[in-house]
Amino acid sequence: MDISLVPETIFHLGSFPFTNSLIMTLVTSAIIIGISFFVQKNTKLIPRGFQNLFEAIIEYFFELVHSVTQDKEETRQFFPIVMTIFIFIIISNWMGLLPGAGTVGLHEVKEGKSIIAPFIRSGSADLNTTLALSLIAVFTANFMGISAIGLVRYGKKFLINPFKKPYFIGTFVGVLELISEMAKIISFSFRLFGNVFAGEVLLIVMLNLVPYFVPLPFLFLEVFVGFVQALVFSMLTLVFLKMAVTAHDH
Amino acid sequence: MELLNSLGINGKLLLAQIINFLILLFVLYKFAYGPVLKMLDERTKKIEKGMKDAEASGKKLEEIAAREKGILDEARNQAKEIVKRSEDTAAAQAEEIVIVAKDQTQKMVETAQKQIEQEKNRILAEAKSEIANLVMAATEKIIGEKLDSEKDRELIKDAIK
Repeated sequence: MDISLVPETIFHLGSFPFTNSLIMTLVTSAIIIGISFFVQKNTKLIPRGFQNLFEAIIEYFFELVHSVTQDKEETRQFFPIVMTIFIFIIISNWMGLLPGAGTVGLHEVKEGKSIIAPFIRSGSADLNTTLALSLIAVFTANFMGISAIGLVRYGKKFLINPFKKPYFIGTFVGVLELISEMAKIISFSFRLFGNVFAGEVLLIVMLNLVPYFVPLPFLFLEVFVGFVQALVFSMLTLVFLKMAVTAHDH
Repeated sequence: MELLNSLGINGKLLLAQIINFLILLFVLYKFAYGPVLKMLDERTKKIEKGMKDAEASGKKLEEIAAREKGILDEARNQAKEIVKRSEDTAAAQAEEIVIVAKDQTQKMVETAQKQIEQEKNRILAEAKSEIANLVMAATEKIIGEKLDSEKDRELIKDAIK
């Protein structure tokens, strides 16, 4: 049993390494895009069957986003990214729970030891994926902030004149704001990565200790964790977006 | 950089993931959220319109019911009035008829009385002349001779009186 923090490379295309998590991410995207096409093709004014489910999810999220933004225009702006983050993370988390995750794979010899490079590794159990998501979330928030209240006013959040009213305290707060943007990226990516990776490790360990029945409760737990982490990531993104477009009036 | 490597962070992979997510976002935005949200809006509008229509028709129905009730009330009042009027007319006519009948009876009674009187008078006169004749005949027989008929009659008349 050898669990790697780093996703295993399945094959190379030129110099580009196709890791198992990247492949799973692509599969995840393909599944979501496939479903969205299916839904779009069958969308009717009078809903039937599957359409009800998708509409319920989308409408529920739309209302959720609206309850945070309290603004029709902002809801329309934020909804796509928040919804996509949620769907992408939840599907990709649950992909890591498929049978064969962490166990079925290529046999590799690395540093003299024989290890298994599993085919299935949740996209979220790879820091590249989570870091990419958090970069997109934080950059989107900052970009939306600039486009909503202007570059100068938005910049005043970080760069505060030390010779004015709160003096160097204000400047210090500005620097803290800048650092907190970095912290957001790190906390975003490591929270999701840590939870999902820990879940996979837990499942593999339980599977190796007691192969039957005992891992089941942990499997259910991971289904729940996968949902919660997706919700946390998307809701935090939403909150940061809302905070960014709200002007600070000093 | 050593730290990033040991965590498995790879620039190429990171870029691939970012592009992947952006494509996903674009596709979902274009094909899923847009149409579904548009359709939800449309449906909301349609349902709102339906509700409004239903409300309007309900109001109209109420109005019609009120008008119907008004018309019914009016009709009932009119019917009552007509019945009352006809009753009044009937009573008046009955009274008139009774009065006319009474009048006629009175008249008839009066005529009858007059006729009876006349008849009586006539019979009396007849009887008188008959009696006179009888008396005259009897006297003639008794006396045996005929008096002057003119004088005779006068005598008898005096006697009967």
